[in-house]
Amino acid sequence: MIYLLDMLVFIGIYGIAAMSLNLEYGFTGLGNFGKVAFFMIGAYTYAILSQAGVNFILCIGAAAVTSAVFGYLVSLPALRLREDYLAIVTLTFGEIIRTIIKSQGIGNGVRGISIAQAIPLHNAPYEVGVIANIGLVLVFLGLCLAFSQLLSNSPYGRILRAIREDQTAAQSYGKNIGLYKAQIFTVGSAIAGIAGAIYAQYVGYIEPDTFLPTLTFTIWIMVMLGGPGNNWGAVLGAAVVQIFQRGTNILKDYIHLPVDPNNMQYILFGILILLVLFYRPAGLLKESPVKPPKLKEQAHV
Amino acid sequence: MTNWAQVLFNSAVTGSLYLLSAIALTLTYGLSRFPNFAHAEFMALGAYIGYLISAQLHLPFALCIICAFLVSGLLGLISYKAIFGPLSRRGSSLIHLMIASMALGFIVRYIIAQIWGWASLSFNIIWPAYDLGPVRISAVWLLPIMAALVAGISMHFVLTRSNIGKAIRATASNPQLAMASGINTGRVLLTTWFLSAGLAGIAGLFRGASTRLSPLMGWDVLLPVFAVTVLGGIGSFYGAIVAAFIIGLAENIGVVILTQLGLSTDYRMVVSFVILIVVLLIKPEGLTRLFKGN
Repeated sequence: MIYLLDMLVFIGIYGIAAMSLNLEYGFTGLGNFGKVAFFMIGAYTYAILSQAGVNFILCIGAAAVTSAVFGYLVSLPALRLREDYLAIVTLTFGEIIRTIIKSQGIGNGVRGISIAQAIPLHNAPYEVGVIANIGLVLVFLGLCLAFSQLLSNSPYGRILRAIREDQTAAQSYGKNIGLYKAQIFTVGSAIAGIAGAIYAQYVGYIEPDTFLPTLTFTIWIMVMLGGPGNNWGAVLGAAVVQIFQRGTNILKDYIHLPVDPNNMQYILFGILILLVLFYRPAGLLKESPVKPPKLKEQAHV
Repeated sequence: MTNWAQVLFNSAVTGSLYLLSAIALTLTYGLSRFPNFAHAEFMALGAYIGYLISAQLHLPFALCIICAFLVSGLLGLISYKAIFGPLSRRGSSLIHLMIASMALGFIVRYIIAQIWGWASLSFNIIWPAYDLGPVRISAVWLLPIMAALVAGISMHFVLTRSNIGKAIRATASNPQLAMASGINTGRVLLTTWFLSAGLAGIAGLFRGASTRLSPLMGWDVLLPVFAVTVLGGIGSFYGAIVAAFIIGLAENIGVVILTQLGLSTDYRMVVSFVILIVVLLIKPEGLTRLFKGN
């Protein structure tokens, strides 16, 4: 039971992270392969501030802002690059940040840093803490989902899609594509930072090697599987990946496999993503058409 | 007091390892036009095949080189035939191809981990070491230098003299025109992927022999290898040669400077990362202009 509740928290956290990648890749077509860097920046900002005794909302806010600032700084030079170069640069950026945290001893370096739970529950049973966290995650997931839905259905969202489909055409309509890309990269990074912060406070302990590029890839699987360009798809993708991960872990107690379940999981993930790329490149949920708000005049006619 | 002769020698070793791997990467990158992230696992596979033959089956090291080349090469061939080829024919975007290569990398990496485990392994070979003046030279460091020389010179002749080499260059610069002039581009691509993955396997083998083996070992050197590829200019064989030694020197001099500044030597990788990013931002065509003749 506790296992299922725990899973819900992680679905929420990864759902937020996947949504941030969906804004960048799904709607705008930016291949950010350094997602883990912004997740990590959020987690570390939260951890360090909460250790210093700053209150929860400020910590989360600071995590979002710090990630956003880094996102903005990375986006300035990086977004002029071709897709494959952008991928390499963002990936490398993540590794640089991880090396710096490791070597400069930020948050105790390799020894890691422990973080107090955001919701102080003295002497309460463990389940209560998890349930409280589900509530917390749901609030942020809901906020991010509402925000992403509004954003992607707004005129602004239409411009993002236009940039994804045809940069030159978008530009010829007088849209400053560099500006839009930088904005969405900043917003995406902020949301990833929030996910990182919630992750840090829930897990209670982070170290640099928690944030390997593997995590970026897992988030990509969620988006590709759920359906790029669909916010619900990102959440669905996160849920499917989590259930799959937990499922194989539970299964190992009942079926004795000759293969280590952790290795098995990632081999299957790899195969799964290849199948998606081959047979269902649009993901499980297709991109929804833009829903403009109904005009009052139309209602009368 | 820094032993500069040793630093130079170490740079040559690092550079040679990167060179072996980067000429392989640059070939497929130039031809198939996407960065193959599974290149890391092609390297790791070569190293583990070497481990299987040398440490588990107790066969001579020379056989490791051949088998690492063949097995990794075969994997490259199959992955192109089964994954990248069909995907690009379906018109997959660049990002989809990159994701596919990461997925392939995952599959191979975790299969390696399943067979040989996550703990780091090492070849139980004691290499003879020589002192040449102030420089300490181990035979295991000479091997990659020799291999890089052999690979570099033979690739030069293959690319300029042989029919397949000319076909590779023609396909890289203009696939449609190459096809129209009767070049079997499908076969060219398969050959290139085989050669490239095989070379990566050899590079991984030497890396594993001189340090340790772990399923993540390919990933550890992938980004420096990307740095070499990009600095040399994607698809440029001669550029990669120069770039490999520039990055090798930069890393080893970087270590000297870092220790003098009292910083962690973990930053040695960051040196090549920074070069990679700066080159991509300022001069994405790399050093190719220097080699206009090719």
